[in-house]
Amino acid sequence: MALVDEIREIGRKYPDRRGALLPSLYLAQKEYGWLSQEAYETVSEALNLPPATVKGVATFYAMYRKKPMGRHLIQLCTNVACMVMGAERLVDLLKERYGLEPGGTTEDGRFSLVIMECIGACDRAPAMLVDTDFHSDLNETNIFEILEKYK
Amino acid sequence: MLKVTINGIEIELEKPVTVLEAAKQAGIKIPTLCHFDGLPPFGGCRLCLVEVEKLPKLQTACTLMTTDGMVVRTETAQIKAARRAMLEFLLINHPLDCPYCDKAGECELQDLVAIYGPEAGRFAEGKRTHPESFDDPIIVRNMERCVLCTRCVRMCDELQGAFAITVTGRGSHSFVEPFTGGKYNCEYCGNCLTVCPVGAIMSRLHRHSYRPWYVEREVQTTCGFCGVGCTMILQMREEHIIRSIPRMGLGLNKGLLCVRGRFGYDFVESTERLSTPLINKNGQLQPVSWPEAYEYIANRLKEIKEKHGADAIGAIASGRCTNEDNYMLQRFMRFVIGTNNIDSLARLSYAPTVSYLESIFGQGITANLIPGIANSDGALVVGGDPTTINPILGLQIRAIRKNAGKVVVIGPPGGLKRFVTNALITDPYSEEMVLAAVLGRLSEEKELRGELPRLEEKIRAVKIPSQDELSDAIEVDEINAAVDTLKGMENPVVIIGPEIAMQKRSSKRLFLIAAIAYLINARLFVLSERPNLQGLMDMGCEPHMLPGGRPLEFEMFRHKMEESLGKKVPESKGMNLFEMLDAAQDGQLKALYVMGENLIQSLPNREKVESALKSLELLIVQDIYLTETSRLADVVLPASSWSEKDGTFTNLERRLQSVRAARTVSPGRADWQIIADISSQMGDSGKFSSVESVWEEIIHISPLHAGLSYEDIAKGNALWPYHGEPLRGVEGEFDVEGIDSLPEKRDKEAFYIQLQRPLYHSGSTSRHSRALLSIMGEPLVMINPSSAERLSLKDGDKVVVSSDIHRAEAKIKLSEDVRAGEVALCNTFSGLNFMQFVDYEVSPVLGCIVITKNNVNIEKVT
Repeated sequence: MALVDEIREIGRKYPDRRGALLPSLYLAQKEYGWLSQEAYETVSEALNLPPATVKGVATFYAMYRKKPMGRHLIQLCTNVACMVMGAERLVDLLKERYGLEPGGTTEDGRFSLVIMECIGACDRAPAMLVDTDFHSDLNETNIFEILEKYK
Repeated sequence: MLKVTINGIEIELEKPVTVLEAAKQAGIKIPTLCHFDGLPPFGGCRLCLVEVEKLPKLQTACTLMTTDGMVVRTETAQIKAARRAMLEFLLINHPLDCPYCDKAGECELQDLVAIYGPEAGRFAEGKRTHPESFDDPIIVRNMERCVLCTRCVRMCDELQGAFAITVTGRGSHSFVEPFTGGKYNCEYCGNCLTVCPVGAIMSRLHRHSYRPWYVEREVQTTCGFCGVGCTMILQMREEHIIRSIPRMGLGLNKGLLCVRGRFGYDFVESTERLSTPLINKNGQLQPVSWPEAYEYIANRLKEIKEKHGADAIGAIASGRCTNEDNYMLQRFMRFVIGTNNIDSLARLSYAPTVSYLESIFGQGITANLIPGIANSDGALVVGGDPTTINPILGLQIRAIRKNAGKVVVIGPPGGLKRFVTNALITDPYSEEMVLAAVLGRLSEEKELRGELPRLEEKIRAVKIPSQDELSDAIEVDEINAAVDTLKGMENPVVIIGPEIAMQKRSSKRLFLIAAIAYLINARLFVLSERPNLQGLMDMGCEPHMLPGGRPLEFEMFRHKMEESLGKKVPESKGMNLFEMLDAAQDGQLKALYVMGENLIQSLPNREKVESALKSLELLIVQDIYLTETSRLADVVLPASSWSEKDGTFTNLERRLQSVRAARTVSPGRADWQIIADISSQMGDSGKFSSVESVWEEIIHISPLHAGLSYEDIAKGNALWPYHGEPLRGVEGEFDVEGIDSLPEKRDKEAFYIQLQRPLYHSGSTSRHSRALLSIMGEPLVMINPSSAERLSLKDGDKVVVSSDIHRAEAKIKLSEDVRAGEVALCNTFSGLNFMQFVDYEVSPVLGCIVITKNNVNIEKVT
């Protein structure tokens, strides 16, 4: 289904068009990889909401991607428990192996890295999300075994 | 009834209002920053905090509703401390660059800090920085100064309905931005400038050109751009207009302006203004003195009158000129020259449209109040986009939708796009089919009340297209849905734009609209592109009408006028605009007096108009610029612009409003003054020492305006029918073209050129406004994306547009506001304009213009 149709489908579940805005933005993000001006315009057209309104709502929320991202998004936790269990070393290793800086994207557009505040998995620290997949008990070797599965 | 005590003062309230409103009624001022009258409450700035007994915490007065027995205090030590704290927070990031901020002196933040402090901030951290945005030609944005009151966003969304700006980001990184993040690409109404309490959103045009305290005087006047007649304040320093601003609550626009009114006034200070009379000597226009010009005109006119008779002389009045100017011109023609040859460009559509509707419903049927539109529960809009032709009226239609009413548009909805319940979009030549189908379905639902037998008889006679015949134009379901919407309206309005005339069978379309309006019992509005089209009609600038809406054909009216003025009224009906042009071409008309109009630019078939004007023995043009028309003149007289003379305009709802001279010196003379001077040069006994003396004569001879003083008009009481009753009976005779037939089909594959009426321009006057040119600086040929696809064109491509009579190169712009198969071009610019491409005929019933030969070819330039 085309994005516009998908958004309109979602729109039917809400009492008004504004209500459908957040899930629609997620759909657009999935389609475009990030929320570009074009993505905002598509959502605006599909929901018949002014583009400025769409952008205003999207930029308020931290979990939408407002700049171009790699094909896969790594969200690594470096909060207290993960830090104690060596997460900061993992950040350094990602930089060494892929040239990937926090907030940055690899040159080949494969990975983007975002440092996350507590992922809620302190008992299995360090932990990360790759796209929507959860991975825990990371160490210096298994993190690459996991990441190599994401091309 | 409830009682509230504020600062010890007991207030009785009819119904609960906010504490802020209650305090205001008691004369107590509570400081605010995010509150703005007319905008929905926000409660964001926390400056209106007040103490309310029995409530533990301070409350925001702008959102808290009063209850019976409430006791409120607005200025205690605790409140003052809280306000000081709020201001201290705001100043953490505010740059305090007041010395070079244009807002300083009228800045609400500055004023509040002056009252409540703090003397110094305690935050040592650096301020957030955000570069000032100069991406836009009109609006400059300084988000470091922004206090996030969101007044601009609420103004843009709630009152203007443009939804152009939003708060982006979060927390201290929130900024107000247009969608692009840079250029606004909006309607440029500038109403966000009105509400910004600080210097965050400012006019780039006025940047660093004034300080608020430079304003020496303010002149309240009426905007000279369109037929709405917004009240505006011209802020003056010496002889220059510093700014034009609206004032909240003032005028029918209630503090809103559109782009033309707010920014477009700078045409009056154009260096191209004419400053001396010119006479054509040996093929060249050469400067002469006023007495020489007057003498020349008087002698030549006398000569022509003696040789060829008075009817060899004609005049064109102007919808941009005041009632007084127009009155004097028709007075000159009727009593000094002795002919009824007077008409104006109102003949193109406005005058015939209004007259036709009056012949159906009676005089004054279009005199309905613009501010009342928002209170309707529905609108039917046909024949043009009100948000570009009469923008402030357009806002009223948007407000209908906001108030949960319904809006049906026939044609492209344009600026009403987000506000439409049903849009019936078809090609312009099928509009009659759509209207007939709507009428057909509606008359099944609504009964004929028997109020207007002649109209009802014709409604019964009208041919309604069958489902099959309609299928070519529009889906039947769409018609049904629109009719369902229309029949549910209880106090609707019908808005009629100029495009309803302009084509063949205009009387049929107008009749169908009138019939629909009758069935749903709607108030009628006819859009007017010029500030005083209605006024010039009322002043008798029509070949068949005397001042005050009295038909010339009745001897009684001529007699009355002769009695009151002691002058003979010429009996025979004069020539209208089109007849005068034909007569000039044939050599019947020898002299033409054109006041404030650019006929060559404004009429189709430039060659014909030019040749007609060149055939004249004498062409007199009164204007503020040298135009295409005045260049051909034998005498050019420099006129005063709208901001340099006193007088009155009559807007499309027939409200009389004052126009006041803001600049006391003018490179020209007021139009009425020039005509009075020439009249006396030609031996007329009338003495007109001031514009008041012109008005005195108007109210003396026009029964419509009898007893109406300038004071009444200034007070805003001059509403139709000014004093007393309308003049004529309810029903008249009217004809309908092709009542029992359907319109002929047009080639669906062909392209037709249409007149675009852009929001950012107004005829050829606005090409002298640097402000408006910075928004739209060149003519663009607009086509629908689907047409572009058919022609394999993309935005910005160069094409050759050719019709039977003209061929020109142009740049393409894609726009959804233009229908498929339509090519839209505005008529502002001199090199490339709509009228060059087309020819015209005169409508047999309405007498309005019918655009012909508008079939065009578009080829890509490779």
